Amino acid sequence: MKNATTSPAPSRLRHLLPLFAGQKRAFALGFALLALTNASAAAIPYVMKLATEELMLRKVPHTLILALVVLAIVNAFFRIRSRTLIFGIGRDVEFALRSRYHAKLLSLDAPFLDQEKTGELASRAAADVGAVRMFVGPGFLQISNALMAYAATMPVMLGLDPLLTLLALAPIPLVLGVSRLLTRRMYRLSRVVADRFGALSGFIQESIAGIAAIHAHARETDWNRRFAAETEELSRAALRHARLQSLFGPMVVLGGAIGGFIILAHGGREVAAGRLTMGDFVAFSGYLAMLIWPTVGFGWILTVMQRGLAALDRISGVLDAHPFLDPAVAAAPAAEKRWTGAITLDHLSFAFRPDTPVLHDLSLEIPAGSLTGLAGRIGSGKSALLQVLARLHPAPAGTIRIDGRDLNTLPEAELRRELAMVPQESFLFSSTLLQNLLLDRPDPSHFRAREAIRLADLEEEVQRFPQGLETLIGERGITLSGGQRQRAALARALVGNPSILLLDDVFSHVDARTEARILENLRAASRHRTVVMVCHRVAALQRADRIHLLDQGRIVASGTHDTLLETSPLYRDLHNTMSRAEALEALAR
Amino acid sequence: MMPAVNSDTEETRYGAFLDARLMARFFGYAKPHRRWLAFAMILPPIGALSQLAQPLVIQMAVDRHLVTGQLDGFFGLLAALAGLGVVQFVTGYLQSTVNAMLGQRVISDLRQELFAHLLTLDAAFYARNPSGALTNRVANDAEAISQMVSAGLINLVGDVLLLISVAVGMALLSPRLSLAVLILMPAVIFVAFRVTQRMRVIQRHGTLLQARMTARLTEETEGRDVVRLFHQQQNAMVQFGRLNRAHRENADKSNFLEAFQFSFVEAASTMVVAAIFWYGGLLMAEQTLTIGVLTAFIDAVRRLFFPIRDLAGKFTTMQSAMSALERVFTLLDTPPAIADPTPAQAILPPPHPKGEIHFQGVTFGYGQETVLSGIELHIAPGERIAVVGPTGAGKSTLIKLLNRTCEPQQGSVRIDGIPVNRIPLAPLRRMAGVARQETFLFSGTIAENIGLFDPAISLERIEQAAEETGAMGFIRALPAGLQTRLTERGNNLSAGQRQLLGMTRIFAHNPPILVLDEATSSVDAVSERLIQTALERLMRGRTALIIAHRLSTIRHADRIVVLSHGRIVESGTHQQLLEQQGLFATLHALQFREEPEAVT
Repeated sequence: MKNATTSPAPSRLRHLLPLFAGQKRAFALGFALLALTNASAAAIPYVMKLATEELMLRKVPHTLILALVVLAIVNAFFRIRSRTLIFGIGRDVEFALRSRYHAKLLSLDAPFLDQEKTGELASRAAADVGAVRMFVGPGFLQISNALMAYAATMPVMLGLDPLLTLLALAPIPLVLGVSRLLTRRMYRLSRVVADRFGALSGFIQESIAGIAAIHAHARETDWNRRFAAETEELSRAALRHARLQSLFGPMVVLGGAIGGFIILAHGGREVAAGRLTMGDFVAFSGYLAMLIWPTVGFGWILTVMQRGLAALDRISGVLDAHPFLDPAVAAAPAAEKRWTGAITLDHLSFAFRPDTPVLHDLSLEIPAGSLTGLAGRIGSGKSALLQVLARLHPAPAGTIRIDGRDLNTLPEAELRRELAMVPQESFLFSSTLLQNLLLDRPDPSHFRAREAIRLADLEEEVQRFPQGLETLIGERGITLSGGQRQRAALARALVGNPSILLLDDVFSHVDARTEARILENLRAASRHRTVVMVCHRVAALQRADRIHLLDQGRIVASGTHDTLLETSPLYRDLHNTMSRAEALEALAR
Repeated sequence: MMPAVNSDTEETRYGAFLDARLMARFFGYAKPHRRWLAFAMILPPIGALSQLAQPLVIQMAVDRHLVTGQLDGFFGLLAALAGLGVVQFVTGYLQSTVNAMLGQRVISDLRQELFAHLLTLDAAFYARNPSGALTNRVANDAEAISQMVSAGLINLVGDVLLLISVAVGMALLSPRLSLAVLILMPAVIFVAFRVTQRMRVIQRHGTLLQARMTARLTEETEGRDVVRLFHQQQNAMVQFGRLNRAHRENADKSNFLEAFQFSFVEAASTMVVAAIFWYGGLLMAEQTLTIGVLTAFIDAVRRLFFPIRDLAGKFTTMQSAMSALERVFTLLDTPPAIADPTPAQAILPPPHPKGEIHFQGVTFGYGQETVLSGIELHIAPGERIAVVGPTGAGKSTLIKLLNRTCEPQQGSVRIDGIPVNRIPLAPLRRMAGVARQETFLFSGTIAENIGLFDPAISLERIEQAAEETGAMGFIRALPAGLQTRLTERGNNLSAGQRQLLGMTRIFAHNPPILVLDEATSSVDAVSERLIQTALERLMRGRTALIIAHRLSTIRHADRIVVLSHGRIVESGTHQQLLEQQGLFATLHALQFREEPEAVT
């Protein structure tokens, strides 16, 4: 909000103006329809006046009655057409802007997204894009209406009596100012109310989630007291908003009343003195009434536009961001040839933030088809290494090579076909299990999904699911246990039969025996696949062809399990901790 | 405030327009505020009168002064006009403010009652009802009811009264002409109401689509690594595009209906005016109608039509409020399965309970499935019992019975000889402090999470408790110490730290009986040692019933109870059980083979 006036207008609209390009004719037509709407609306009272005059002559004004009916229909038609057309432009802009925003978000990668809050990114697509729409549709309508109202009435009023015009319009700035001030404060307060409402909902939700703790310690009384305070806060905020809102209507009416009062006080005396006709007096009152609401609308729309601009700035913040990878490289066509899967690290250093390096000068060879283990304490850089290998975060050019090619030059489609990673958090989408496994693969073969499920040792459990592979998982479906989620995520990576598989501690919720079975399956399924895994179990590490021990972002020892156990005190220490943890874990089951 | 994605079922159903039974009950909540209610009821007529009087004053000014040119008394009329304007302004302002205030007051009371009722409900209820729906009851449904009070009910009464009085006035002026107008009215009202309803449905659908888009975007952002790793950008774009397009198309419908609604009433009133001109013209030709009456009729039509648009909107407000009331009252009428004993039955525990626990022939099950059967267990004051056994043996149910989170089907549980169902819940639960496997952390500071917002637990006591458990070690390292605010559900703490906080919580509340379900999540060696020491101190001077997962806990227990399939199969000291060569010995051999002695 506060940067609402910092940059000049044209540059702030840079992402909006292109969307208007195809809408010029629609705007012109909308304006014309609005003019017709206003003209036909203005004609109705005039026809009524004529009809009354004919009635006075004891005649039934058939033609005028017909004209009235036709005018009513024509006016309704124009009004509906103009509003749907103009609001439709706003909706088109909303649609296009939201699509662009979404596409941009998808093209951005971890370095940008990690700094943003998920909730805020989502609310920009909803609230902010909506605010920009208000700026376009209703904004155009209200401004056009105000322009037309003034253009139609001002010449006539000034022609009748310039002094009275000025006097009658005296309350207009007041109406405009009040409308502007009130709407601005109302928006601000309605945010406060929404926040308080959110806080109240959050409090209820948290209390329900923690009900066991509340019951266990008999804390009900204090919780009721805290809830009462939350309710009170919301109530107070809602009332402050309501008081302001209550002021709005009466203030506008008061503005009109002041104008009417001035017309009577000054104009009335003019009429009495014979300097103004009775008809002029009535016309003045009518014109003033015609100006009040468009003026209010204009005040409101200024506020809406200010909010729209601020929203546009927030959206632009995302639209102006760039992914670390050149989009042209990413979009290049994929080579058909399968990889062998040999990985070379050549003096690789990496940091999430410039001041805190995570990986220091790593150099190593991971032979094609090998099973490589990464070991080390929490925070030693194991996960970071996998993330960089999977190109989720940028590595300096030439420091990672796969089959001799620089990682940064590989087309995205090819990389994702050949290299799969199972991240630590086993994230699944809330859709069916099958959809999670196959994603958008063109060949919707259930066979591959079933095979992957078997390899990940999830087959038996899936058979017990209510709809098997078609079972909906996540919020709207069944809740998978941590171990099931991990194995489903692993299966998803296996469906594509990748040449390189990166596993980031994906067996932490799976028991040791199952883990052993899965590793056995993986080995049996493909002897050519390169697997790099971070894990915390002795048995799994024992299987690795080679283990690299990381400490503070450096490789401090490499070798097989047995050699490391002999030569590295750090590895020995780690080994003891792991064995102990495993024993405890076994007791829990 | 994001709406639930699948809220298009129960939540969006419409109720009846007015339900006498619900309203009668609801008026019970309005009763304490009846003075304000009365005040709110007299404001609309005052406002209407001041509004109606203004054209009359102008009329008088025109007839008496403007036309004649004499200005005696003109200023009096001007003053009257100014006065009426002010009165209209003040009543207009008061009317909405008082309505809003009434809505807030009534709803605050109802909300607090709902929330207090929720807290009395038992675990089984929470297992049946999704938390989102319950939150909606207290937050959104209550809001809908508040809307009914502040925007609907009182104004509705005013609107209906206005309509009736205008209609009566018209009938008095010219019965035949009013009949003609009133015949046309039902059709107009019908269309206006139908369009408004349709609009509501379309708008709700729009909100739903918006919520789905937000849910999608949230999911894509949270799962961004997966989207990237599996090259799902194109797919995501297609899916999102589908929703975005549906939203766009829905907007067209709602735009049209909105524009139609706006124009329809306008056009209908013009047509009715045309009809008045025609029929009135005929009547005037017959000399049965004057021009004055006809003008009055045209004015009345305007007054009749605008409230109709208003009424249609209020109609839907009332409908949502009625279904909200229905749901809210249903929730309020759900009795808690586990309640305080009646005052006549209640027995307060002694101020310093000994902590003797006695399970006598306890059997418990869910439906057909028996969880515990024939449990006989006597625990002497100060005794430390470790309960072990395979998953599903009924271990956690045992502790739920002790603090009455569950109630046995047969047998009884006694503390110091008093059956637990005779002890009021609050003192019972203060006596037996239960710590679960997972320490639930509320948003707030570390200190608040230890003391659980109990004003009786001072900061010194909290600090002391944290020192006792050794939690103070890591708390001190946090930026604001005990006053550090926890992030969402404490996810900036490690598993070990959370366990320590759970234990500190028990220390601070100082119950004579310690009931603990040991956490199974593995922690690093340092935390493990800390937790062990903390537990040792916690058990000092307390009767302890612990579902044990740590070997050290099992070894240091006075007695080990082995549960299997809902029965106690073995009981004795560590040594005795090992010698028995039973289930415990097997479990022990299986699970502690690799355990290095150094840990204990």
